[in-house]
Amino acid sequence: MSEAFFVREFPNGLVFLGQRMEHVSSAAFSFLVPAGSSHDATGREGAAAILCDWCLRGAGQRDTRALNDALDSLGCQHSESVLSEHMHFSAAVLGRNLPGVLEVYADILRRPTLSDATFEPCRGLVQQELAGLEDEPMQKCSLLLRQRFYPYPLGRCLYGTPESLAAIVPADARAHVHRGFTPRGAMLAVAGNVDMEPLCEQVHRLFGDWPAAPDRPVETSQPAGGTVHLPKDSAQVHIAMAHRAVPTGDPRHYAARIAETVLSGGMSGRLFTEVREKRGLVYHVSTRYHSLKSHAGMFTYAATVPRKAQTTFEVVLGELRRLGEGIEPDEMARARTQLRSSLVMQGESTHVRAAALAQDWYHLGRLRSLREISDHIEKVTAEEVLGYLAEFPAKGLTLLVIGPEGLDAGLLNG
Amino acid sequence: MEFHRTVLGNGLTIIAESNPQAASMAAGFFVRAGSRDETPEVAGVSHFLEHMAFKGTARRTPFDVNRDFDRLGAEYNAFTSEENTVYFGAVLPEYQTDLLDILGDILRPALRGEDFEMEKNVILDEIARYEDQPGYRVYEKLMGEFFAGHPLGNSVLGTRESIQALRQEDMQAYFDRRYSPRNVTVVGTGRIDFDAFVAKIDAMCSAWKPYDVARSTPAAAPKPLRKVLLDGKIVREHIAMMSPAPSAQDDARYAAGILATILGDDNGSRLFYALIAPAIAEEANMSHHALDGAGAFLTFLSTDPDRSGEALRIVHDVFGGFLDEGPIAAELTAAQNKIASGATLKGELPMGRLVNVGFDWVYRGQYVPLAEQIERFYAVSAADVLSLGRSCDITATTVLGLGPAEAL
Repeated sequence: MSEAFFVREFPNGLVFLGQRMEHVSSAAFSFLVPAGSSHDATGREGAAAILCDWCLRGAGQRDTRALNDALDSLGCQHSESVLSEHMHFSAAVLGRNLPGVLEVYADILRRPTLSDATFEPCRGLVQQELAGLEDEPMQKCSLLLRQRFYPYPLGRCLYGTPESLAAIVPADARAHVHRGFTPRGAMLAVAGNVDMEPLCEQVHRLFGDWPAAPDRPVETSQPAGGTVHLPKDSAQVHIAMAHRAVPTGDPRHYAARIAETVLSGGMSGRLFTEVREKRGLVYHVSTRYHSLKSHAGMFTYAATVPRKAQTTFEVVLGELRRLGEGIEPDEMARARTQLRSSLVMQGESTHVRAAALAQDWYHLGRLRSLREISDHIEKVTAEEVLGYLAEFPAKGLTLLVIGPEGLDAGLLNG
Repeated sequence: MEFHRTVLGNGLTIIAESNPQAASMAAGFFVRAGSRDETPEVAGVSHFLEHMAFKGTARRTPFDVNRDFDRLGAEYNAFTSEENTVYFGAVLPEYQTDLLDILGDILRPALRGEDFEMEKNVILDEIARYEDQPGYRVYEKLMGEFFAGHPLGNSVLGTRESIQALRQEDMQAYFDRRYSPRNVTVVGTGRIDFDAFVAKIDAMCSAWKPYDVARSTPAAAPKPLRKVLLDGKIVREHIAMMSPAPSAQDDARYAAGILATILGDDNGSRLFYALIAPAIAEEANMSHHALDGAGAFLTFLSTDPDRSGEALRIVHDVFGGFLDEGPIAAELTAAQNKIASGATLKGELPMGRLVNVGFDWVYRGQYVPLAEQIERFYAVSAADVLSLGRSCDITATTVLGLGPAEAL
């Protein structure tokens, strides 16, 4: 697998990252601009989510329909999402169609129409998504946990609140564009079968004169943390908890990834083995590592019927803590193989590669080859993982429960 | 890309599409067994059996199965639908034989009593999990209504009662009826060494005793109907609709895929402009469900409860309007491009290609290279799509609403 990287930093701050992949016919990009939900103004939470829809309702000379037609005629598969720090535009097409798609995205990012007439439906859709969370307790649980776990507003719920959505006027969302659709802190990562040199020239032509807005760091306050139970007459009790981890930029994050994999990689992970296989307590239990730029966490989720909820919680918490007591050599070996092989397999996807390039640049300021990551994973010892766990134990957990009854969470402080 | 095929003496079919450029390989055991092959007393047994395959064999404990997969760094899982149970995994090419060693082994599970009772708890939790997902619930109920009296109306998960009552010997009996090598296809994609692939499967599976397996495929006779399932605990109205469509064996399935994309793709489709763009619904999409000897167009909506009637009228108008004139040229091209690029992207990953290659064989006994499949979509004309829409009558729908609305 070829791993020749292409990096170009433009004077206005935009960074172009590329990786040529010869054996595929597609190419994909990840375009990250610093317009995530943590940049929403206080009292206007949800503005980024509205904007994420609104900016596709016409751009440049095209109205909504013409914009969709332009992307469809290129066979463009695209999606847009609001993250904490960024708004993420991703697209995948046949490599030869990528330049055409980029032309359209230059309009979306630099010349979105944002007409008053299309604003209301975009707000309406976010209001419906927020209401719809009630019917998706699993997703609600995870969004609200993140909100309480990270220093506010880094983890805040992207859909805002009914009140904040009602208060947003078009000017609020337009202001979000001025602040966040800017080359400073933006990254365009491309992976696939496309010539990077001419593509970079095109990026220069499309975005080289994009003026940069002033940098506006997000001010944060202490996370709310603690234990919350949201009563709901649901079939399952949804249990979500989080504890601190090192961010991806920290060299110890390789140890964190091993810890995550020993706990929850595959079906031989400790959680699956102890909670599901040995005790039949759940269908789903998992721990996932998630990192922002300067904060990260291990997010654990389990769901079960009410009569098994307390036991499930206790066994899960017990496993999170027991990990710090020791790791068997064959657990280490399995975790290393799992991480390395998933790297290679995900590396076959242009879409995943493009996103990984952008993540690397954001967290580390450089690109890592699969070989480099693989070598790091290979070198991590069990002692290093245990040392890491001693520094980042499963303590001070933030707990969020949705279900008919709460849990006795006294153990959290034990 | 090269296609290979062989059949073992006991009737087990092995096929592979090998791609020497791929970085990984994927393999799957496709069993023609699903909820449509169940009797009411054992509702959910196919899916429960899929779980039990991971609970150990004559030479592996449940923990061995999990550990052995993970030792290879495999990505692996299984799924059960109305008509298939598929066990699959992907690994780096050097682990091909090891992967087959596990997959071939778990296809002859021990079905130990103790594991059976333990796993029952897990299945009951899975049923509870779906109870908290209105989108899934309404789909399952709608399948029951649309295919009322037809085996495709059976629930994949079964019910709490049917699972509680299920005995190990019922599962064994079901296994002995459906898991004949004649009813299984082994599929490989990606960087496959086919000679080694066959040799390993032969060593693992040639002792499986063959017997005939039957499946009844009566014609479905759905009747248009509109029904509401009132549930005040749900906040949004979740609506699912079905109308008859080409089966998995029908060549009109290409036109059906195009029709569903034009009318109900998540973005830029007629339902998108009529319902999503003006925020009358937050979700509105249509897909073609191609099944063994039957088929359905399936449309999902999620709306505010007080706008569900309005949304349904709009869907009806959109479908009706489409039957008047058919697609315009730009819509047809856009749908073809979207399908082609979606298939290309998926096809670049061995794991993405596996189910396609497998189902081409299971349903139609044929191998179609990806490029040819894409060409067939491009060969569909506007007239084909229109005449399909008319002959199926996409406006003759079975409609089910689940949520707080008392009427649609």
